Amino acid sequence: MTEYRELDNKYTAGFSTQVESEDFEPGLNADVVKRLSALKNEPGWVTEFRLNAFEHLQKIKEPDWANVDYAPIDYQALSYYSAPKFRNKEDIPQEILDTFDKLGVPLHERDALLGVEEQDTKIIPTVAVDAVFDSVSIATTFQDELQKHGIIFCSISEAIQDHPELVKEYLGSVVPSKDNYFACLNSAVFTDGTFCYIPPGVKCPMELNTYFRINARNTGQFERTLIIADADSYVSYLEGCTAPAYDENTLHAAVVELVAHDRAEIKYSTVQNWYPGDENGVGGVLNFVTKRGICKGESSKISWTQVETGSAVTWKYPSCILRGDNSVGEFYSVAVTKGKQQADTGTKMFHVGKNTKSTIISKGISFGDSSNTYRGMVRINSGASNSRNFTQCDSLMLDNSRAITIPVISQLNDNSIVEHEATTGKLSEEAMYYLQSRGLDEENAVNCVVNGFCKDVFQKLPLEFAAEANKLLSVTLEGAVG
Amino acid sequence: MLVTQEFTVKAEGKTILNDLHLDFGPGIHIIMGPNGIGKSTLAHALMGNPKYTVSGAAQLDGKDILALEPHERARAGLFVSFQNPTPIAGISNFQFVKESLIQQEKMTNSMSDITQVLNDYKDYSDVFGLPSDFHKKQLNVEASGGEKKKNEIIQMLLSKPKVSILDEPDSGLDIDSINQLSKQLKTFALENDNRTVIIITHYEKLIDSLSPDTVTILRKDKVEKGDVELAYKVFEDGFGE
Repeated sequence: MTEYRELDNKYTAGFSTQVESEDFEPGLNADVVKRLSALKNEPGWVTEFRLNAFEHLQKIKEPDWANVDYAPIDYQALSYYSAPKFRNKEDIPQEILDTFDKLGVPLHERDALLGVEEQDTKIIPTVAVDAVFDSVSIATTFQDELQKHGIIFCSISEAIQDHPELVKEYLGSVVPSKDNYFACLNSAVFTDGTFCYIPPGVKCPMELNTYFRINARNTGQFERTLIIADADSYVSYLEGCTAPAYDENTLHAAVVELVAHDRAEIKYSTVQNWYPGDENGVGGVLNFVTKRGICKGESSKISWTQVETGSAVTWKYPSCILRGDNSVGEFYSVAVTKGKQQADTGTKMFHVGKNTKSTIISKGISFGDSSNTYRGMVRINSGASNSRNFTQCDSLMLDNSRAITIPVISQLNDNSIVEHEATTGKLSEEAMYYLQSRGLDEENAVNCVVNGFCKDVFQKLPLEFAAEANKLLSVTLEGAVG
Repeated sequence: MLVTQEFTVKAEGKTILNDLHLDFGPGIHIIMGPNGIGKSTLAHALMGNPKYTVSGAAQLDGKDILALEPHERARAGLFVSFQNPTPIAGISNFQFVKESLIQQEKMTNSMSDITQVLNDYKDYSDVFGLPSDFHKKQLNVEASGGEKKKNEIIQMLLSKPKVSILDEPDSGLDIDSINQLSKQLKTFALENDNRTVIIITHYEKLIDSLSPDTVTILRKDKVEKGDVELAYKVFEDGFGE
């Protein structure tokens, strides 16, 4: 059971839900890993995957190179499983349904259809949702509709049961379990997440959306997402996240793996709004995420778009391995930090195939006492002839905030082109006065400057998400000024 | 109508304007004065630029404005055009005008209002010889000095302020544009008898064609006010300092 805490007035998703849950006692050891696997009724190879990761975890240390500072995490004090009690997906407690309703996540297919012109007889849904509450997936909508196209969209737990051959082939293939500390931890104790498979030649007819909600206190959320786009397919995937306002830090260590085969395209968009902690830096989500995609096939494409406004600490570098010839990787990011928030985020682009192309546009906005670091790596291998990268990295600062840009470029051939542009600016008093003199109040003026600053990235978001991101940004800016 | 009493402006501890008593009724007014006397300072101190410390009083149509924030002064009906308007990337000229008018409650976000204002914007930019896609250009980013000046005037014409102070609106404009400026300002001032348009300029031809109601000369120790003859006298004799 979780305690109710008063709504944080700026962070509207900060409420918690009272729901009877089944929790593991705090603690991390091989037995916990085995129990978790047994509870989920997993085949032996998954248990093995977890145990191997757990074994390796004992030998490695948390990374300390990031430009972030947080109290040491006591991994033994965390619970590694928390799931609301319900028998099956037809029997989900009303409180949970209300929670998603309050967050504006449509769990009923009917809801997703609302807003579509009523006179239109052939209603086409635009978004299918997988909703994850703490350690479990609560509901996945439009599965039948998607199945008609051969698309698999379900929780990763279901995929392990129903499509083991696909999961076995790809799980850990992009982010090996020994990749880094948090990926290793996740590989040992991942609980739920989303699985998508788009068959050859299929353009996914709707946006696929996973909504992650942390509710339980002192519980880590370790979700695992795996998306496979087979040859000539296309999918646009959206991810949203919120958490209650607790005084303790909440650990969120996710792994996302994307695989794009020949000429396939995956567009992955994130609006990350985890609880950022209060104005004194108490509480908030530690967001330690490993996201990586591989453009395996020729002419394949992966684009990451992220709008990061939440979390106390963010450590996240969505990356692309451009293995197929002519493949394309993109990274568009807006990261906003305020108060005591710390973000160390960016991307890595590994050019392996010939004629590969990558674009990085990163916009960092920092307010108050926050720190905002862009960390990027572009590597062009000797065999990646005629490859190109363009990086644009802009920072906008206010108050006492810090913005740091750390780009690393290594180019191992002489027929590729790497371009890097960076600007750092302060939101000037002069600009504020100009806008205010035309009738915009302080908040509107900041909004105007920030929105203009983020425009290149917002344009990359799917329409449904762009409006949400805009709204989120204005809510975030509220009270950030002054 | 704009009135000041004992209006004193300091910046960084230095007095720039001292004890000004000004009074501008509806109509067209010219302010002249030697370089560095504080004409721009007067405009921006009235608008509320935070870099100035102001004492005394100023009223817009009888309402005290000195305690108000710049945006509240704008909403009360004051407009000051900038000599070097600040570039704001990522927002278009039209988006900004729209935002500004909505914030001043001079239009709504309805499709009909937006269409109306966009058409008005395009008409004005046409009149001033701006490119046909000028409304889409980023605010004061993708523009020449003259284009920025014209955009300031268009913003003023669309927001229809009660009191406008235009800071050398003619500088950087070619002769045809200045003629157009004069024509538009006259139309604007005359089509409603509650509009006060104050222009800081030294350009004889503009003053001539505007036929202003008053001319005010700011000098170090005194303010002199008269009709247009006063301007001609200055052109003859200089400021006499």
